[in-house]
Amino acid sequence: MTKPYTKQELIVITVARQIQDGDNCLLGIGLPTVAGAIAKHSHAPGARLMMESGIVDFDPLVPPMHIADACCSEGYSYAIDLFGMFTAIAHCGHLDKAVLGVAQIDRYGNLNSSYRTSSTGEQQRITGSGGAPEFISYAKETILTLKSGEFVYELPYLSSPGYFGGGREREESGHYPPGSGPSILITPEAIFRFDTDTKEMYLSALAPSVTAEKVMSRIPWDLKVADKLEFFPVPTDAELTFLRRFSPRSCFSNSVADELTLNGTIEKMAKRQAFLERCRAAAVEASS
Amino acid sequence: MEKRNTSKVMTAKEAVSRFVKDGETLVVGNYTEGSPLALIFEVIRQKKKGLTLFSQSGNMDAEFLVAGDCIDRLYSAFVHKWGGRAGGSMIERYQMAGKLEVEDYTNFTYNAMLAAGAAGYSYMPVMPAIMDTDVFKKRGFTGDRKFGVTICPFTGKKVPVVPAANPDICLLHVQRADKFGNAQHWGGLGSTVHACLASKKIIVSCEEIVDHEIVRSSPHHTIVPDFRVDAIVKEPWGAHPMELPGYYSTDLDMLGIISYFNAIEGGLKQLMNEWVYNLPDRASYIQHYIENFGKPVLDSYKAKPYYSAPTNYGIGTHSLWDDAGRNISMNVNLEDMDRLIIEKGDLVND
Repeated sequence: MTKPYTKQELIVITVARQIQDGDNCLLGIGLPTVAGAIAKHSHAPGARLMMESGIVDFDPLVPPMHIADACCSEGYSYAIDLFGMFTAIAHCGHLDKAVLGVAQIDRYGNLNSSYRTSSTGEQQRITGSGGAPEFISYAKETILTLKSGEFVYELPYLSSPGYFGGGREREESGHYPPGSGPSILITPEAIFRFDTDTKEMYLSALAPSVTAEKVMSRIPWDLKVADKLEFFPVPTDAELTFLRRFSPRSCFSNSVADELTLNGTIEKMAKRQAFLERCRAAAVEASS
Repeated sequence: MEKRNTSKVMTAKEAVSRFVKDGETLVVGNYTEGSPLALIFEVIRQKKKGLTLFSQSGNMDAEFLVAGDCIDRLYSAFVHKWGGRAGGSMIERYQMAGKLEVEDYTNFTYNAMLAAGAAGYSYMPVMPAIMDTDVFKKRGFTGDRKFGVTICPFTGKKVPVVPAANPDICLLHVQRADKFGNAQHWGGLGSTVHACLASKKIIVSCEEIVDHEIVRSSPHHTIVPDFRVDAIVKEPWGAHPMELPGYYSTDLDMLGIISYFNAIEGGLKQLMNEWVYNLPDRASYIQHYIENFGKPVLDSYKAKPYYSAPTNYGIGTHSLWDDAGRNISMNVNLEDMDRLIIEKGDLVND
């Protein structure tokens, strides 16, 4: 029996399990880097974790906030630059896996993280695609994660290539290494994979106590379901302990994590204020 | 030719007023780490206008410059939403209000424009997959010049290309530099070198100014040579609240405050009144921080040392003459040389 764990912990650990020992693995910021750290400290110590700023073979001290975060540059093996990361490493076929977060995805694994249409009809900037377009194009395999992103029937803007209209379309364009593309999408509720022939996304596993109907209610097309569903992995105590120490935030939903952080900061500030006032009082006393 | 005898050390105020002009194109040299925020705050304080900004990861640099009404156009691959998903960012607000035009690139294609500029080429090939995306197909303010397509003369294949970018001015913050302008940086490199070398003018701020001899013994850390740099500004905590390896971590307290203000419409401007406009320089910014939060809070973000292994550049042969004063290959001393020159040399006759 493992100790109790949250939905958020389950998704991070499920993603971590996709990374194998020895993988050259490019990680996006957020969930992917936390998953990478778990993998490196459990089943995949020999995985080479990489960030697109050119920090290659790192082991983060704390969860990085951006892709050149100094918490990843205290000890790493190869300092290349971004241009070399994309050309000499990704384009030349040395990237086994890319792990990327999703803002919007369609049924063939195409992604949009550039613009969405706002409620008033304007093109509203999401974040921009960063390195995702080239990584999903040239990594041998791409692992996708989706926490607060969305499934859409038609993308308003295609920033990162999945399988386009499905079938052999990606392969036949001649622009991509054979066999590349998204292989799995992991969300807190379900795991999705892509059909070998049609390249259409299908439901492959349900998280504990989640129904297929609930998953389908978020998806604006007729979702196909695997003949036989697989199971989410069961986290080990060691994985949970590492995760809780490494990234306490990742164990909660964003809103709960924000609330806990805000309360903690206020408490800390109040203590500091009290400390400063005690110092001030002591100084006044000493001078009188 | 530039003679190396003059110091380029000056204040941020002087550097920005001398080298940053309204309407120019400005690139943030640092990728995401070590943002040149002391210099950026000075640009805002001097109310520079009509700038086009290259900011790859649209971090705090772009947020503050946009909120300072300095920027009309932005080349971007990513925008960090400091106010959270719902709170959004100043970039988003300005864009929606029609006050800012954004051209959408990817990290690589953005970098490739600067790599072309740095190399003196007019364009740079990029990877073919980009042609299948809307990043390629949809055009913003650069229109037809966003991407092009050429044919490889060797394979006959279609190759997408980006135009070279040569910004007027690059702002860069580094760990250390000498007074001549040799700038040394270590940590995540991103597109920093290309951003600097592509630019026509470069202002470097640094945590420390070191002897030229320090630079000569660690040339692997020099990312821009002195002859390309226009100004050196000593600014301790010059990237705060962002981090810089070897000096300080990201200030999570300050970041929390910025996120809080950024989530509110007009909030960032309020914050900037206190932290940018009402303070003359970075030293007073740090003083203001200490007065508000206490020195122990600032000190808690100082880096714990993690030294790079010393690099031995030494060689055995320092001279072609041995300790006894004999040439190591001809096995002669200087007196022998004088004699040999008379005997065997091709003497110049007068």
